[in-house]
Amino acid sequence: MRVPLSWLSEFIELKKSPEEIAEILTLSGHEVEEIFDLYKRLGEIVTVKILEVYSPEDLKEVVLCKVTDGRDTFTVLTSAKDQVKPGLCVALAKPGSYTFSHQKVEVKEVKNYRSEGMFLSPFEAGISEEKHALLTFPKDVPLGRSIYEILNLEEPVLEIAITPNRGDLLSLYGVARELNLITGWELKTFTFDKALLEGEPFSGEIKILEEEGCFRYLGRIFRGVKVSESPFFIIKRLFLCGLRPINNIVDITNYVLLEVGQPLHAFDWKKISGKQILIRRAKPGEKLLMLDGVERIFTEKDLVIADAEKALVLAGIMGGEESGVKENTEEVFLEAAWFNPKWIRLSSQRHRLSTESSYRFERKVDPEGIPLAALRATELILKIATPTGFSQLVDLYPRPYKRPLIKITPKKFAKILGFEIQKDFIIETLKKLGDLQIENETFKLIPFSYRQDLEIPEDLVEEVARLYGYDQIPDTFPIAELKAKAPTLEIKTERKIKELLKGFGLFEVITYSFIHPEILEKLNLSKEDERLKVLEIENPIASHLSVMRTTLIPSLLEVAKFNATREVEDLAIFEIGKVFFPEKELAKEKVHLGILLKGEKKLLPWEGYKRKYDLFDLKGILEELFSALKLEVEFRPFSTEPFLKRGFSYDLYLSGIKIGLAGAIKNFILERLDLKRPVFIAEVNLSEIYNLLKEKKKPLKIHKPPKFPSTFRDISFLLDKEIPFSEILSYVNSLEIPYFEKLELLALYEGPPIPETKKSITLRFWFRSEERTLQDEEVNTLQDEIAKKIFEYFKAIPR
Amino acid sequence: MKPEELEALKERALKELSSAKNLADLEALRVKYLGKKGEITQALKSLKDLPLEEKKTVGAKLNELKEILEEFYKEKKNSLLLEEEDREEGIDLTLPGRKPERGALHPLTQTIEEICEIFTRLGFEVVTGPEVESDHYNFTALNIPEWHPARDMQATFYLKNGALLRTHTSPMQIRAMLERTPPLRIIAPGKVYRCDADVRHSPMFHQVEGLMIDDKTSFSDLKGILSFFAREIFGEKTKVRFRPSYFPFTEPSVEMDISCVICDGKGCRVCSQTGWLEILGAGMVHPEVLKAVNYDISKWQGFAFGLGVERIAMIKFGIDDIRLFFDNHLNFLESFK
Ligand SMILES: [Zn+2]
Repeated sequence: MRVPLSWLSEFIELKKSPEEIAEILTLSGHEVEEIFDLYKRLGEIVTVKILEVYSPEDLKEVVLCKVTDGRDTFTVLTSAKDQVKPGLCVALAKPGSYTFSHQKVEVKEVKNYRSEGMFLSPFEAGISEEKHALLTFPKDVPLGRSIYEILNLEEPVLEIAITPNRGDLLSLYGVARELNLITGWELKTFTFDKALLEGEPFSGEIKILEEEGCFRYLGRIFRGVKVSESPFFIIKRLFLCGLRPINNIVDITNYVLLEVGQPLHAFDWKKISGKQILIRRAKPGEKLLMLDGVERIFTEKDLVIADAEKALVLAGIMGGEESGVKENTEEVFLEAAWFNPKWIRLSSQRHRLSTESSYRFERKVDPEGIPLAALRATELILKIATPTGFSQLVDLYPRPYKRPLIKITPKKFAKILGFEIQKDFIIETLKKLGDLQIENETFKLIPFSYRQDLEIPEDLVEEVARLYGYDQIPDTFPIAELKAKAPTLEIKTERKIKELLKGFGLFEVITYSFIHPEILEKLNLSKEDERLKVLEIENPIASHLSVMRTTLIPSLLEVAKFNATREVEDLAIFEIGKVFFPEKELAKEKVHLGILLKGEKKLLPWEGYKRKYDLFDLKGILEELFSALKLEVEFRPFSTEPFLKRGFSYDLYLSGIKIGLAGAIKNFILERLDLKRPVFIAEVNLSEIYNLLKEKKKPLKIHKPPKFPSTFRDISFLLDKEIPFSEILSYVNSLEIPYFEKLELLALYEGPPIPETKKSITLRFWFRSEERTLQDEEVNTLQDEIAKKIFEYFKAIPR
Repeated sequence: MKPEELEALKERALKELSSAKNLADLEALRVKYLGKKGEITQALKSLKDLPLEEKKTVGAKLNELKEILEEFYKEKKNSLLLEEEDREEGIDLTLPGRKPERGALHPLTQTIEEICEIFTRLGFEVVTGPEVESDHYNFTALNIPEWHPARDMQATFYLKNGALLRTHTSPMQIRAMLERTPPLRIIAPGKVYRCDADVRHSPMFHQVEGLMIDDKTSFSDLKGILSFFAREIFGEKTKVRFRPSYFPFTEPSVEMDISCVICDGKGCRVCSQTGWLEILGAGMVHPEVLKAVNYDISKWQGFAFGLGVERIAMIKFGIDDIRLFFDNHLNFLESFK
């Protein structure tokens, strides 16, 4: 909320500088986000001297002036042709600046004549009501200087973030009252003169038909008002607070809203059918063209102010176009009410319409302060719109506000704060918050009606602590049981995976949980694929962030693309994040690991050795990862995933359950995404792994230092290209070879001079006995036997 | 051989050995004195012509001399070898090393880990929770009913199935309290979502929630723990300041500022000239929240806090645009190796 200090000082004597006041407010819980001088914020408005004045024949209404700011010269078109003359010093608003009435100043061209700014009247400069004369300066005024500096004018404004519980601070008077509470500076109260007169009998009828929606309603009629432009002080203050002036009656309602925080509404009484003001629920489908030019359709949940025929106002939020006060209005009905904050809030949300008025009603207005607002408005209307008469102030208050009684003991303060604030201070503070009674050791406080944020004892603890000063309360360490739980298996495993992958040279990425639905289509998924059954966001921030992801692959590809368009083609990244599937109530959330390898692997850069990532880089990373997690994951060749190249992919299985995929992305998909090939990707369902990890874990096999030496024999042969290595491995394991320790794939070769259908393989067999050193002869025999069996089984040719 | 001759031989041999310039010279001297035909060997051989008494005394002295020379020779040889090695020409030592590959964890992960580590030390248990939440856990149970204006503070993403994306990590307070019995201390990191985006806001960001419930945990304790946290993460000299604030789920409520790390509290653009940076919101758990999880409010009390991970990472690493975290450009990620 904007608080102009010049206005605030009408209600309280400000004994400190703007910066100090800001600090006081901030440290009391009302964060001052900014202190600015509204004049300075308008932009470059400077003193200039008119050098020459031209009246080109093709321009009728305006003349062209050549001016200088002491350094440069500009040309400015002005309609004040009778006033400008060479040598005159005036105020120039340069392009990019704003006039006081929020008009943006821009470079304009009229028939090839260029206007680089605008001469301001005192009104447009925000200095006085004078609109027709230009603001002028003495001949010797320094040129090119801010006019406000020259005139020694400033308008400091505080921008305060008022927390939602303190609706009572949404006004100048409210802020003054709070400053009085904090500092003790003297508060100035309102005094009334004619507004206190009784007035004529009310010539219409007001009825609250919905007491749940409207707790209090005050109204008064003014006859013979002159609707016109407001006096300058009102216009200026509205602008200072960011509001636009409309006419004197509407402006007075806004002025009082800013001043005391009570929203008011003014009706054209002659437009009110049957002279009846009815506060009722809207009829279903009831329509109203409102002041913002939008026609809205109401439901029974909306509260309206109606006349005998129709709805006139969406209560507490915005008025109707028809019944509003305009230039020709002669009789005004003024409303000051207290509506149910919940109703206003929900109505305002349903219609996506938040106004200065609804904002204050939602945050609770002061039920006992409403007459004050009505009187203040009356006073101003009498002074400014000079009505010929006014009615009595009707006040309907069927269920008066009952202030709560809050009981609290000094012990409670100490228990919550962990510190004893002197009883005197507590009592002094509570007295400033409401009516205090002390019985035995118990404080009984009935807070003032504007402090509706005070409901429970804890609220009073905060008030006392806050006014005592949070920094005056000591810092202590809690005394608690020396007991703590270890992180869960999920947390520990995730940390371990991240550390391992970091150690393998991968970079972790974090991407948005929402993705573009189209990217899933680009992955070529079949219609039945459960990854297409996405959770949609009702109100996405953009279409490319409109569904919850069901796989990490799109996100990783996006990162690859972002990098590729910014000169990074080589990438080794991973992400651990959630994917989401629809469920009845919330969502089925699973933690996934995604890995992407793309471009070249950098090895020994200064020896000039580089190569492209291949499938075995990805497989190796996964194998090492699973090995470290003590998981026996099976890499089943030929993934069934529609976006992976069949011959370069695996599905990953653990205990018979598919837990992931790994492979090269199909070329046509990469083309669709405009990514260079190849790209290798893996995705692993960690939630599934965590479940399996909880069930069983591969036991560690402990190797002791060998007592006897090992020995090896190599077997080389040619065999059919099609036979996979895994088959050889499982055949060898099935042979139950005595003293066999392990098998190594020593060499693998395809190409000339080997026949096209064959590949050459060299296997190294390691042997060892736990009891003795093996003899050459017996190992030779073993080698012969194995070779024979392999050659026979695979129809291999010895080399 | 007379004792004087023996003495002269020793002196000469030692002098020559010690002046050997290289291994070849040294070898020649070894042959000269200790070789098969060397002077010492010859002298030992000529002992046999001497009378027994003399043989004993001269023999002992000669053997002693032989040992001394052999020892001296060994030492000399070692030192010449060392000198030679030192003269060996090396390689271009300024070339970069052959590095094992090393990636990096995301700066936000690093920040979350650091925050959690501090609280884990204090016996807080790390918990996690769902990102898709119900209105009840995200708002109502936290004393933010449907009509509450505080809902304006958190622009919410709704899903078409009626659920929402949690707007803060606070629902984990509720879940943790329901799953446990007091006393308890938890710390809950995670992703949160709000529908706004600009240089300072991202539609997805991270928070860490903390909660301590006990029978006497007080506002002073809250101040103590959070001041400790600020000094742990931003350095021992960090000053902290507590300001009253408002959250529907805490009472009293506070916001904690730290002295600006950029300008050291003097005032700069980053801290809007105030010298302070706001880093977290906290407060004593509101009785309504305790009631929502059926805790006896006459017995249990405690504090809760929530902090923005991006905010802390931006302060710690001097980053001015939140979007950098989610662009994941490799150059950016490599900065955190
Ligand atoms: Zn600073």
